[in-house]
Amino acid sequence: MMWSWIPDNWSLIWHLTWENFKLGVLPALYGLIIALPLGIVAARWRWFYPPVLTLVAVIYAIPSLALFVALIPAFGLTDTTVIIALTVFSLCVILPNVVEGLRSVPAPVTQAATAMGYGGLRRLVTVELPLALPVIIGGLRVGVVSSISLASLGQLIGVSSLGYLFIDGLQRDFPTEIYVGLVLTIALALVCDLTLVGIRRILTPWQPRREKRSRGAAAVPMRGAA
Amino acid sequence: MITFEAVTKRYPDGTVAVDALDLEVPAGKTVVLVGPSGCGKTTTLRMVNRLVEPTEGRILLDGQDIREQNPARLRRGIGYVIQQTGLFPHRTVEDNIATVPVLTGWPRAKARARARELISLVGLDEGLAKRYPHQLSGGQQQRVGVARALAADPPVLLMDEPFSAVDPVVRASLQDELIALQSELHKTVVLVTHDIEEAIKVGDLVALYRPHGTIAQFDTPERLLADPVDDYVAGFVGFDRGIRRLSFFGSTGLSLGTGPVLGADATVAKAQDTGEPWILVVEDGEPRGWIPAASLGGHPGDTPLGRVPAEGVGHTFKAGPDSLRAALDAAVLSPAGQAVGVDDDGRLAGVATFDQIRAAIQAADAAGARDAAEAAGAGQSDNSKKPGARAAQGAQPGAAP
Repeated sequence: MMWSWIPDNWSLIWHLTWENFKLGVLPALYGLIIALPLGIVAARWRWFYPPVLTLVAVIYAIPSLALFVALIPAFGLTDTTVIIALTVFSLCVILPNVVEGLRSVPAPVTQAATAMGYGGLRRLVTVELPLALPVIIGGLRVGVVSSISLASLGQLIGVSSLGYLFIDGLQRDFPTEIYVGLVLTIALALVCDLTLVGIRRILTPWQPRREKRSRGAAAVPMRGAA
Repeated sequence: MITFEAVTKRYPDGTVAVDALDLEVPAGKTVVLVGPSGCGKTTTLRMVNRLVEPTEGRILLDGQDIREQNPARLRRGIGYVIQQTGLFPHRTVEDNIATVPVLTGWPRAKARARARELISLVGLDEGLAKRYPHQLSGGQQQRVGVARALAADPPVLLMDEPFSAVDPVVRASLQDELIALQSELHKTVVLVTHDIEEAIKVGDLVALYRPHGTIAQFDTPERLLADPVDDYVAGFVGFDRGIRRLSFFGSTGLSLGTGPVLGADATVAKAQDTGEPWILVVEDGEPRGWIPAASLGGHPGDTPLGRVPAEGVGHTFKAGPDSLRAALDAAVLSPAGQAVGVDDDGRLAGVATFDQIRAAIQAADAAGARDAAEAAGAGQSDNSKKPGARAAQGAQPGAAP
């Protein structure tokens, strides 16, 4: 471990961390934006969900590198290729949580809302989505964390991320670089995850403090790190 | 007023939940739908606010067919309370209560002020206004549910097993408060329960359902207990209906005696002179305890009764306001076998023996039978939907005029 390497390469490290951050957060946000309408439809029309879930599982099984390669002809060796691929993976993680979240809204609550004169859309926006929020954010957390870790693979097609430190460290047989990359990836994931937990706390003051673990947990297991 | 005209609900699988139902819920009254599970009582209730649409027949609210109204608007004019409360977990107590006023376009401040009024009305502490539902007890949540249903002051209130999920003590107090609220607000209330005791306690009228969506008897609670139309109703009402019916007889007509009553300063000798097997000792006008005559022999004749050990009075009944059921209960529980009647201040009004209570029951019974006969005579020209009529067979569509 060569500690002096870190201050000497501060700007490189900072740049790579920032790039990796973007490659982690943007796909998760895009994934959420796509998953919301799909999830709402799937939660309402039950027949729609099983085929969608199957499709999601199949897409999720595609190795990420293979998906990058498949997208290169259309988007080249760019951020866009990586972001699209990671968006697809995030979508796969977030969608089931949107559906589960909406389904977890207690039936008496939706029934009472209807009986008090809520229209469908108003009920969705002011009752069902707020109540589904903890579970949706749970999915978002997994989406962000897995995107952050998968983003390092982007380096293989030349898109900067903390993955650079792994590849460069390996090629130069310089473990310090690999350790720094590893620690920063984990730290980045942790910070983003905790931020989302904080956001959830702020948005859902109504939740019992001693929440159940399952509330924040994802409906889909986390994808392995690069 | 809510009128069901030959209303049938048949599900696609052929199940008939409600079968050609005719029912009239008079304005300002509490009508309880009671029956075994799956008898169609909840379906009946949920057709009123169009959560369930009838297959046949029609439902009128103050003479207007509810299908002609926009469902959301119709529902805002009908309070709805359910067993699981259905409170919004993400809204505070006051915002839960303000739901319908906000939906109908009230400014938020006004809606919240109204919510505060209702919090007090249903007997909750105003300090709970900013709490979330999960921070409340079951009974408190149910009160919030009632407050929320009343928020926009709807003329109609639908309650689906509102008190079934709370413990018996809380349930009894919620029932008492519903009765008190109703005597003030005069809503048209339809309440569903599987508990016949609850039906008899809170209902002005009770519709007792048979298993497959027809009404066996639609009557006042008192008539239901006194005169069940058949074995099914008698069985559902329960084996001790004779005793329970006494709840509807006031104790005003009960004659009270003072034979065994003596002051605490009276002597043992005087007590023995009365020849009563039990002596009720009174001090400052209030009953203190029963002394068995058999135990007097051990004391000198000039001993004041206040010095002689006595047995507790048991529980007393309020002569006048309490029912004959309370009087009978007091007699059963009294060591002397006599009911001790007191006035509102707890001062002795007199004691009643089983014989006196029985005479009062017979008198009340005769008066009740006269009233019923008059009601039946007056109701004969009317159709079967009227309370007091036997809806069992008359509920068929053909019977409606």
